[in-house]
Amino acid sequence: MGVGALALLAYALAFASPYGLRVLTVAGVYALATFGFQIVFGLGGALSLAQGAFFGVGAYVTGILGSRYGLGFEATFPLSMLVPLLLALPVGLAVLRLDSHYFALATLGIAQVLHLLAVNLPELTGGSNGLAGVPAAVLFGWAVPRGLPMAGLVWGLVALGGLIGWRLARGRLGRSLTMLRDDPLAAATLGLDVGRLRLAAFGISALFAGAAGALAVHTQRVVSPEVLEFPVMISILTVAIVGGRGRMAGAVVGAVLLLHLPEWFRFLERGYLVVYGAALLATVVLAPEGLTGLLDRIAARLAGRRPRAMADAKEPPLPPIRSEGLTVEGLRKSFGGVRAVDGVSLDLRPGTVTGLIGPNGSGKSTVVNLLSGLERSDAGRVLLGGREVTGARADRLARAGLARSFQAAALPQGAGVLEAVAAARLAFDPDTATAEAHARWALDRLGVGHLAGQSCDGLPAALRRRVELARALLRRPAVLLLDEPAAGLTDGEKAELAALLRELAGEGMAILLVEHDMGFLLPLAGRVLCLDRGRVIYDGPADGVRHDVAVSAAYLGSSRSNPAVSA
Amino acid sequence: MRRALSLLIGLLAASSCPSSAVRADDTLSFPVLVPLTGFLSLEGTSQRNGAVLALRQTPAGVAIASEVVDTGTSPEAAVTALERAAGRGTVGAVAASMLGTQMLAMLPLAQELKLPLVTVSGTASITEQGNPWVFRFFPGDAVTKAAHARYVVEELGRRQPAIIYQTTAYGQSGKAHLDAAFKALGVTPVFEEGVDPAAKDLLPVLTKALAAKPDVLVLHLHSSPTALLLRQAASSGVTLPIVAGSAMHQPSTAALLEPAELKGVCAETAASPISGDTPEVRAFTDAYRAAFGKEPDAFALGQYDGITMVLEAVKAGARSPDAIRKALSSETFKGLAMTYKSDGKGNMAHSAVIVCYDGASRVPTLVKRYDDPTLAAK
Repeated sequence: MGVGALALLAYALAFASPYGLRVLTVAGVYALATFGFQIVFGLGGALSLAQGAFFGVGAYVTGILGSRYGLGFEATFPLSMLVPLLLALPVGLAVLRLDSHYFALATLGIAQVLHLLAVNLPELTGGSNGLAGVPAAVLFGWAVPRGLPMAGLVWGLVALGGLIGWRLARGRLGRSLTMLRDDPLAAATLGLDVGRLRLAAFGISALFAGAAGALAVHTQRVVSPEVLEFPVMISILTVAIVGGRGRMAGAVVGAVLLLHLPEWFRFLERGYLVVYGAALLATVVLAPEGLTGLLDRIAARLAGRRPRAMADAKEPPLPPIRSEGLTVEGLRKSFGGVRAVDGVSLDLRPGTVTGLIGPNGSGKSTVVNLLSGLERSDAGRVLLGGREVTGARADRLARAGLARSFQAAALPQGAGVLEAVAAARLAFDPDTATAEAHARWALDRLGVGHLAGQSCDGLPAALRRRVELARALLRRPAVLLLDEPAAGLTDGEKAELAALLRELAGEGMAILLVEHDMGFLLPLAGRVLCLDRGRVIYDGPADGVRHDVAVSAAYLGSSRSNPAVSA
Repeated sequence: MRRALSLLIGLLAASSCPSSAVRADDTLSFPVLVPLTGFLSLEGTSQRNGAVLALRQTPAGVAIASEVVDTGTSPEAAVTALERAAGRGTVGAVAASMLGTQMLAMLPLAQELKLPLVTVSGTASITEQGNPWVFRFFPGDAVTKAAHARYVVEELGRRQPAIIYQTTAYGQSGKAHLDAAFKALGVTPVFEEGVDPAAKDLLPVLTKALAAKPDVLVLHLHSSPTALLLRQAASSGVTLPIVAGSAMHQPSTAALLEPAELKGVCAETAASPISGDTPEVRAFTDAYRAAFGKEPDAFALGQYDGITMVLEAVKAGARSPDAIRKALSSETFKGLAMTYKSDGKGNMAHSAVIVCYDGASRVPTLVKRYDDPTLAAK
């Protein structure tokens, strides 16, 4: 990255013609707009097609205030960032709950509406012709001339914006957004407020886009509806993809390359588009992780991967007040005409392990989903630590002291083990370094501390389960819901897991264990509930379940003893 | 690292200082910066071809260079193209985009660089910026719409026009000028309605217009909507005379219709080269067809005339952009489409013509010429 920055500086100072400086300036404008897009799309995974529209709004604010009211850069620049932000917040509240493609379409709609307004409000916007005569950027009485000074202003702001974006990406926000992008459900169960995070990312993206729009107008000295049209959005999207999704350096590399590429082939008249398209296609095919990813790969091959410096393990603090456990009364949930959970009541007391069994489709996972806030119950009451939490969102339940694991260990693809586990503390710790120190403690406790520097990809099933369990434990929850944690483990590994769960219960944790493996579950659980077609058919001591007629019938469809339960 | 640094700087510098920039000192460059891609590519290509054809008439003793650069449709691309062109030798004048927003963006830079822009853009505001470096070789709406209204009222004797226009800057500007022109002639339209350029069915607006009992249909639409409305009018058995806007004169618009569907249709325009009303225009049309395998339109002819006037100035001794600007500002030039003379703001074209189709071919006949119709109307 340093080489690239030096090259740009040397080029701008010593080699660039006025034309070269203009292309470089425009590249800086697009880099700045793409920083915001990297946050909302690259990190947060939300394909916001409103980034071009926010760019246009920033451009119009500067254009109108500069050309009509004679305001200077000191006033127009912050306002060009503020107005898109004020637009993004209410719009975000309305559209951010939509799923991927609906969200993309909704944000595209925003751009269309703004374009129509720009064309049809000629008194304000100049209509289709736009507003000409926008003054140059005037900084404290100095009109910044085109050429090197303007390029310096734009790239100074690119450096500042890139630094802010880089810090955001590496900090709690960026890590939380990445978690959200990779697995929104798991993110919510780790205590991350999905809605607030998405709104924050959307707002930040609007700030960057507005800043870029303002600079674009000072570069062009005219603002017209073209700044709100789809090609601007496509350019930003292409810069992000080609440069490297989610990376600020990628925005710079992508913008510099994509703005210069057509210029290298201008001599081909309109044929340059064919070469440009082919070059883009080749880049996407050969470097699907973007040019910065490709450069990383090459650097790693040439110089080897440098081991990451890691913080020392540190035990996370226990919640100040231990919970009274979890109480559930008359829980009900239907999907269409199917009643998946029908009047389930249970009581998870601190220091106990409760088993939840039942044949496939009996509603066990639905109960765990309801208790962890991933599904909303139709009826019933839930108390966590003595407080009513019925219908609460997953992130609120998580912050109130509830943790869960998934049937298939939900670890983000491509993430490091330490990062994946530390994600569980992002909603609690002041910074990522603290979260990682706590994560190392949890990994050590699960006996997988040596995996901290490895990638989650390719971990064997047993290790994946341990890593996921470390993530669940990391928040020192009062209530732990485990969905088939012994699946795929060897007998030795199961014994280790059982010992750990006993230890956790001994510390006062209330554990609900959904499990098919009775040999693992029954010695561990003090009490067992059995579900059949959503209803509790057995609720009593673990010993009694082996001989219960209703349980046997549920598993075998007859009154004979159940070999699966007896095993 | 040193090697990577040199490579990066070299790559960037390659785009900034290409080899073609190196030219002999006495070479005058006339870059053609026009939209070859995007929604204006048809018209932009006409503009390009007109300029390129004109630049083949190299004045004796003067080295001429030219480069065609696609400006797309964004103002940003047009400004970048102008800055690029300015860095390549001595630029005499620039054949500049016909897209108004691109022209508005290029104007401040042209003034700073002191480069004359020669265009066929119809956007009124480009000559209202007080910028002495712009020259428009195509009549504005004030001229063409005055001719449009006068033909309807004075030649056809119709006084109850129904106006159908486009809801774009082009359409709204044309409608405003039509209103003013009809008012000056003491005529009030019986119907006026704007239609979106994306509308796929114009029968509803046509039906509403006919319900207002007009005695003539006056259109100010883009190319495709013009063709669509004419086809729907023909299939509905409309017998009223129709006088369309300049988009109708483009051979590419006529190609969308059968000759029979054009019977009785007239249109205003700056010129209709394919109508070949003079031997010089016929020679131009033949040369254009031979060079590009296409039919020329008024944009091609306007740009051809504009660049030809620039080259005439060069022949007369103008060797700098400022000398060319002075010549364009002060001289009168008899071009193929009309006689050009600046009004002090850079508006060079003050004539319009009316062409009509006979229903047997797609080549219209020039039926009326208006030289400075606005002055005449006053």
